[in-house]
Amino acid sequence: MGKNIITTPRYGKNFKDRLYLPAIYEGCKVTFKHFFTNINNSNAVDTLEYPEEQPSDITSRYRGLHRLTHRADDTIACVACFMCATACPSDCIFIEATERDDNKDEKMPKSFSIDTLECIFCGYCVEACPCDAIRMDTGIFSLTGNSREDFVLNKDQLLSYKGAFGEENSCARS
Amino acid sequence: MSMASIIVAITAFVLGALLALLTIPVLVWLERRTAGLVQDRLGPNRTNIFGFRLGGVVQSFADVVKLLIKEEYYPSHIKIGRWLFMLSPIITFTAALLAFMVIPFADTLIIDGEALRMQPLPVEYGVFWYLAIGSVGVIGVIFGGWLSHNKYSLLGAMRATSMVVSYELPLGLAIISFIVTYNTVDFNAMVQYQTDTLFGFLPSWGVFLQPLASIILIVALFAETNRNPFTVAEGESEIVAGYMTEYSAMKFAMYFMGEYVAMNTASAVIITMIFGGYQLPYVSTQMLLENFNYFAYALIVLVPAFTWWMISFMRKNNRVRPSVTTDSGRIFETKVITIFLLFLAVVVDAILLYLSLIPNVLATQIAVTMIQVVIFVLKLMAFNMFFILIRWTLPRFRYDQVQSLGWNYLLPLSLFNLFVTAIVVVGVN
Ligand code: SF4
Ligand code: SF4
Repeated sequence: MGKNIITTPRYGKNFKDRLYLPAIYEGCKVTFKHFFTNINNSNAVDTLEYPEEQPSDITSRYRGLHRLTHRADDTIACVACFMCATACPSDCIFIEATERDDNKDEKMPKSFSIDTLECIFCGYCVEACPCDAIRMDTGIFSLTGNSREDFVLNKDQLLSYKGAFGEENSCARS
Repeated sequence: MSMASIIVAITAFVLGALLALLTIPVLVWLERRTAGLVQDRLGPNRTNIFGFRLGGVVQSFADVVKLLIKEEYYPSHIKIGRWLFMLSPIITFTAALLAFMVIPFADTLIIDGEALRMQPLPVEYGVFWYLAIGSVGVIGVIFGGWLSHNKYSLLGAMRATSMVVSYELPLGLAIISFIVTYNTVDFNAMVQYQTDTLFGFLPSWGVFLQPLASIILIVALFAETNRNPFTVAEGESEIVAGYMTEYSAMKFAMYFMGEYVAMNTASAVIITMIFGGYQLPYVSTQMLLENFNYFAYALIVLVPAFTWWMISFMRKNNRVRPSVTTDSGRIFETKVITIFLLFLAVVVDAILLYLSLIPNVLATQIAVTMIQVVIFVLKLMAFNMFFILIRWTLPRFRYDQVQSLGWNYLLPLSLFNLFVTAIVVVGVN
């Protein structure tokens, strides 16, 4: 002890600090400076002119819209195990299973839909999936629609999205 | 009542109503854009009508339309005092609006020996009117918070009440110091008093005559308008929206707009009391009338210079970046506004030239009044900008801190200031 104690100075006790007005002046200097530089050249403000400019810095770890992956022969990778639906904290994955007839696996989803209005984009479904069948690597960050139903993505829509970062097919099912 | 007096009364009223109401969308827009620019963002600049975005001010009108056609939701748990619940935003809004109505925009016009005041409400006891009506606004806040039957609203209303008891006294005492100094309760006479010079070089503005009272006045008016750093009645992080929590659609908009009208009123009171009102420093109305030609010549040079500056500012900033391909009609907008501004400058110059070449007493008077109105609006907007920039600079006070500021510092200071003022005034006379 003793040696390593650093006494930080206490502010706010002397007259100048208690007067408060000099501090306001200092603060105003900063905000006014920002204001006047930016109003003078508003094109230099470092923002994205969305939607004309699109973000270019989406990393491969970004959790975008979901998609269902394919196997090498373009069939669905999902085996309808309901792991994702179980893991989902917002209960927004709805799966109906059916028998699979191409001898690849026993089951596949008849319908698979995600209500993206309920989804919180936590990524638990991706973590839970044993088949690498559901992914959030589409890089899509905005979804628009005119009604609530437009936001419930069905199996075909989910299968139609492409991965944005190279890995296209499921890594666990071939 | 002569024809002239009726015309002047109507003009003053319309001007006052326009200044109070039309500044609301402008102020909302100004606030949002300023916030953006201070924080290195741009703020709303997209909404447009046929490609005319006017820097984004159209957004405010779109917001008003949105609020008007929103569902009128009435919280079902409020069983008693429904009508008062609905009435309270109106009380706040109307109080702020009425308080604005005693501010003079220009000097008293004298036509055919008849003195016509350029105030929407031509009264001689403006300060009392302002004090009486201005404080009513908070009653709407308290009613609204109480009748919402909601803990957040109740807390918000309670804080608003605690604010009133802490700032009203210093505000009143500071204003009394001004009344003692100027020896009048008439806003117009106060402005007249401030056209003199002090020690030969300073304009005798209240801010130089009474620096301490001026600071107290500004601080207290910040508190009265519920602006930062005194936004204790609402607090996102603690009590949601405070007294406004249960209000929606146009009821909410009334509170919201009332806040901006109150800010506008406070700015008007501040510039009228301590920054010389509608007068240019050193220049009295008499001087303007007598030497109108010189002012007209100066303006003939200044108006095109200002227009040129506005156009070059617009050409520099109203365009998209090189990285964006579509310009969404900005070049066309710039062109049209440039032509409009040039046309306006030419018209104003022509009128000024005509007036300076062919002297006409009545026309000169009207021109001087208009110049004063313009000066008033410029000063008003400058002070509103100050209000807005302060909001984006300072953090919020805790409400007990506001109380201790009011009672422990501002009240003794304003009392002290009042004593000194009284002694000096009595000693000098
Ligand atoms: S991201 Fe989270 S909330 Fe969305 S579907 Fe997957 S598990 Fe459910
Ligand atoms: S997506 Fe994965 S976890 Fe979900 S049902 Fe299909 S295989 Fe199972």
